[in-house]
Amino acid sequence: MSGAGNREAVFPTRQSLGIMKAKLKGAETGHSLLKRKSEALTKRFREITRRIDEAKRKMGRVMQIAAFSLAEVTYATGGQIGYQVQESVKAARFRIRSKQENVSGVQLPAFESYITEENNDFGLTGLGRGGQQVQKCRDVYGKAVETLVELASLQTAFVILDDVIKIVNRRVAAIEHVIIPRTENTIKYINSELDELDREEFYRLKKVKNNKKKALDEADAERAKLKEQEGEEGEQLTITGSDEPADILADEEEKDVIF
Amino acid sequence: MEGLFFNIHSGYVEGIVRGYRNSLLTSSNYSNLTQCETLEDLKLQLTPSYGEQLANVASPFPTSTIAAKATEKLVQDFRYLRAQATGALAKFMDFLTYSYMIDNVALLITGTLHERDTKDLLERCHPLGFFEGLPALCVASNIEELYSIVLVETPLAPFFKDNLRSADLDELNIEIVRNTLYKSYLEAFHEFCTTDPELSGTASAELMSDILGFEADRRAINITLNSFGTELSKSDRKKLYPEMGKLHPEGTLMLSRADDPEAVRLAIEIVGEYRSFFDQGGIGQGGGGIGGGTQKSLEDVFYQKEMELAKGTFTHHFTFAVVYAWLKLQEQEIRNITWIAECIAQNQKDRIGNYISVF
Repeated sequence: MSGAGNREAVFPTRQSLGIMKAKLKGAETGHSLLKRKSEALTKRFREITRRIDEAKRKMGRVMQIAAFSLAEVTYATGGQIGYQVQESVKAARFRIRSKQENVSGVQLPAFESYITEENNDFGLTGLGRGGQQVQKCRDVYGKAVETLVELASLQTAFVILDDVIKIVNRRVAAIEHVIIPRTENTIKYINSELDELDREEFYRLKKVKNNKKKALDEADAERAKLKEQEGEEGEQLTITGSDEPADILADEEEKDVIF
Repeated sequence: MEGLFFNIHSGYVEGIVRGYRNSLLTSSNYSNLTQCETLEDLKLQLTPSYGEQLANVASPFPTSTIAAKATEKLVQDFRYLRAQATGALAKFMDFLTYSYMIDNVALLITGTLHERDTKDLLERCHPLGFFEGLPALCVASNIEELYSIVLVETPLAPFFKDNLRSADLDELNIEIVRNTLYKSYLEAFHEFCTTDPELSGTASAELMSDILGFEADRRAINITLNSFGTELSKSDRKKLYPEMGKLHPEGTLMLSRADDPEAVRLAIEIVGEYRSFFDQGGIGQGGGGIGGGTQKSLEDVFYQKEMELAKGTFTHHFTFAVVYAWLKLQEQEIRNITWIAECIAQNQKDRIGNYISVF
């Protein structure tokens, strides 16, 4: 990542450091959760893919059998019964219930088919001949539709899961590669700023201390000088009063002796 | 004696029918058909019989086209025969078309009941059952009107008059209406064959009596078997059995009381010919199950029997029954061809041998 540039616009304060740390923690928790969700969904997704494959193969077989049983009906009844069947149907015999299935927080619609046995609207079709074939054909097509329903619910789940998995993966990637580095960068930035402030403060304090010390020293020196001066005078007095021979070379400016 | 004057009126028609019979597909033709890999090959194999009709069919065609074209040929031949027929034979052939008319009228009744545009239905009607008054039925907007038009315009009036009221058309299931009509038709046809002055006592009467009796028995058995598990009550069921055939009256009485296939078996065992049918055909599992291989359904056994009867008819001379037999044979041929075409189109070669060939 592009280092210092990629960070959030915050003031480097202790408070925002706290906020950022909380955010980083949140992001990490979120990341691991989403990752797990994505894994669960992918697992499910693979399973569904496998079942779709199976269902499609099954559908191929069943539809073939169904089409053939229709040929049998045509052979047995010796005519077209399509119109008659269409017209005599009043209510659906094959029905579908839709329910929701929850996979890691994703609502997948699942279709469940059931047959209402009492609905037999064209039970008398082909009464004179071919009735058994008609009923058999109906059952076979019922099975074919069942397979189609199964396939439809799998396909819907497939599409929805595909979308969700993409979104989740995008989120995982976003958290992993954008949010976390940025928060980390921000924290680093705040830390470095705070450190610098610390150092500045320290230096300033040192400087102040130095200055103070210097001032103190100067004051001391002044005082000492003053004291010295005072002392010298006194000494002079003392010297004057003492027996010791004075260095005559040492002090040029000795006071003129006034006689 | 009856042979003496037969040829004056009907000799030509009989000759033509025998000619048609010779052009029916034989076993070797069928075995050639079953060898076909594509519908294109099939079309080529059918050229000798149906070349004229199939010639202009564009290459990718559905199996229904073959059936439609073959039916076209059948209708064409039948119309030619009908045009040649006179006297009792003409009436006989009219009777043949009545069964198709029943189907057509039933179709139109269904359409009227559900308030569909019945004009579209005319195309779906079987051409053999097409008569002048048929388009008039489309005019009817309600059931009473339709009922009166049927009585006035159609040759089916006698079948309607005695058995159905206009309210029945509305209340009863159309299948029951159809079967009631068919029962009445069979009885009328049978009566015509046995009592018409030109026909009674001839080979025609004898043969048709056998064939129609078998048809009646077949319907009775089928109705019984197919009505298990439906709302059709036993007394209503009894009304649908034609009052003729070998099963009538004891057999049909037993059939009317039957509750399961086993009872049906008991009922038909009183007729020696039918006893073996149940052993040959798996009952209740029509079609022998999916991929069930060679097992025949009862339906198949009936068709087989029908074809044998039809074939036997051709051993007789001077009879109208050959026309009936030819019609049935030709129909079976169309079914066979459609079946083979379906098997080829759907790549179900293991069941392709399920057709019925008699020659």
